[in-house]
Amino acid sequence: MLQRIASGDAAAVRECIDQYGPLVWSIARRLSRTPSDAEDATQEIFLDIWRSAGRFDASQGSDKVFIAMIARRRLIDRLRKTSAEPPMDPVEALETVAWADPGTASETAIEAEQATRALAELRPEQRQVLELGLLHGLSQSEIAARLSMPLGTVKSFMRRGLIKVREYMNVDAKGVLSEG
Amino acid sequence: MSDARPQDQPDEAMVDLLIKQVTEGLSPAEQRALDVLDSEVASAYSRDLERAAAAVMLAGSSTQQPLPAALAERVAQQAAAHFASPSKIGDLGAARAAAVDAARTSAASARPAPRANRSGAYGWLAAAACLVLAIFAWQRSPSPPVAPVAQQTPPPVIAPPAEKPVPPTPAEERAALLAKSDSLKIPLAATKDPAAAGVTGDVVWDPVTQRGFLHFTGLAANDPAVHQYQIWIFDAGRDKRYPVDGGVFDVPANTAEVVVPIRAELMVRKPAAFAVTVEKPGGVVVSGREHVVALGAAG
Repeated sequence: MLQRIASGDAAAVRECIDQYGPLVWSIARRLSRTPSDAEDATQEIFLDIWRSAGRFDASQGSDKVFIAMIARRRLIDRLRKTSAEPPMDPVEALETVAWADPGTASETAIEAEQATRALAELRPEQRQVLELGLLHGLSQSEIAARLSMPLGTVKSFMRRGLIKVREYMNVDAKGVLSEG
Repeated sequence: MSDARPQDQPDEAMVDLLIKQVTEGLSPAEQRALDVLDSEVASAYSRDLERAAAAVMLAGSSTQQPLPAALAERVAQQAAAHFASPSKIGDLGAARAAAVDAARTSAASARPAPRANRSGAYGWLAAAACLVLAIFAWQRSPSPPVAPVAQQTPPPVIAPPAEKPVPPTPAEERAALLAKSDSLKIPLAATKDPAAAGVTGDVVWDPVTQRGFLHFTGLAANDPAVHQYQIWIFDAGRDKRYPVDGGVFDVPANTAEVVVPIRAELMVRKPAAFAVTVEKPGGVVVSGREHVVALGAAG
C-alpha cells in the first residue's frame, strides 16, 4: 500500500486512511493533551505518511510499524514543543491500555507479537514504566513522580525494557528464536 | 572494561541519549551532545529502538477508536491537495507551517517571558526564507499541470470528478461552498488604509473541509514585485498574536472583482476573524500589521 501511495495512487491513500486511521487516531489521542491537539497531530501524521511512503522498505518491517514510527516521531516532537507547559498531574487518570494477548498480536503485526513476548518477560513495574512512557507519552520525570520511583530506576527500567524488545525483534528477524 | 563492548554497540551514554530521544525527545543541549557522538552505529541502534518503541505501541493498541468522520474528510482533503500538485502543496504547506513555528520561536525568544526551547530555530528561519520564496513561486505559477502519476490512477475519492473535466473556477467553487449549510459567510469591511478605499467583500469558509474564499470588489491592483496581499485567519483557539496564514494573492490591474481561495496552513478550529494585509512579495510568517486593508469578524 505504501509503495502505491508513493506513486500517487488515490485509492491507496483512501485505503490507508480507512485502514490506519483508527490506529493513528488512537495513538494521537493517547499522546496528546487535548482532543483538538490530537486532531492537529493526526493531520500532521498523515501528511508525514504521504511524504515518507516512498522510503518504506518492507524488508525493514511491516507497514503498520512504519506508520506507528512516523506517528510516534511526530507526537514526540509535538510533546517536546509543549514541554514548557506544566507537567502532567501525577495522579491524573490515564486511559487503560489494552495489551494484545500473546499469540494474538501477530494479527496486528509480527513486531507487536515480538514486543508482547518480550514484555511478558519483564517485571510488572518494568512493564508499567514502558506503558507510561511509550503509550501515554509521560516523560521519565513524570513517570518517576507518578510511581514514586527514583528517576534512575525509571531510566534503568525503560532502558532494559526497550533493549529487551529490540533483542526479541532482532533475534526474530534473524529467524533463530527457538521458543516463544 | 569498556573495551569489552562490541564495536557495533554504542556506549552507555549514547544509549541513554538514544533512549531518551526515542521516548520523549531531547533538549537542544542533549541533541548537540548526541550529534557529537553520532555515528552509523548510533543511527542503526536508534532505528532499532524506534522500531521497538513502535512495536510496544502496537502491542498496547489492540483496542482502537474509529477516526472521526469529519477528521477523516480533512485528512482526505489534505491528501488530495498534497498529491494533486506536482510541487506537492502539502510539503510546502507544512514547511510554511514550520516556518510560522520558527518565527514564533524567534519572536518568543525576543520576549522576556520564557517559552519552550526549540533547537535549530535559526536554521529553520533560514530554511523558512527559502521555502517562502518557493511557495511564492508555486503560488504564482499559472494553473500547474496535473501530476502524471495522478493521471494514471483511478479517481475514487480524491481525484477530480470524471463528469467535470474542466476545473471549476474559484467563483464557482465559492458559490458551491456558499450553498453548503454549514459554511460561514462573513462580511469584510475596508479599513482606512489607502489601498482599501472603496473595498467591499466577504469571506466564505467551510469549517469541515477547512476551505474558503475571499471575494472582493474595489481592492487596488498590486505589483507583485513590490508587494502582495496576504490573508490571515484569527482562530479563537490560538494565540491572537499568531493568526493562521491563509496565503498570498495578487489583484491584477483593471480587475473589478476577485475571488481568492484561502489556503490555511494550519487547522482552524473556530475562525474568529479574517484579515488582509499588504506584505512584501511572498508574504511573511508574522505580519507587522502596518497595512491592514480588510477585516471581517465572525458572528
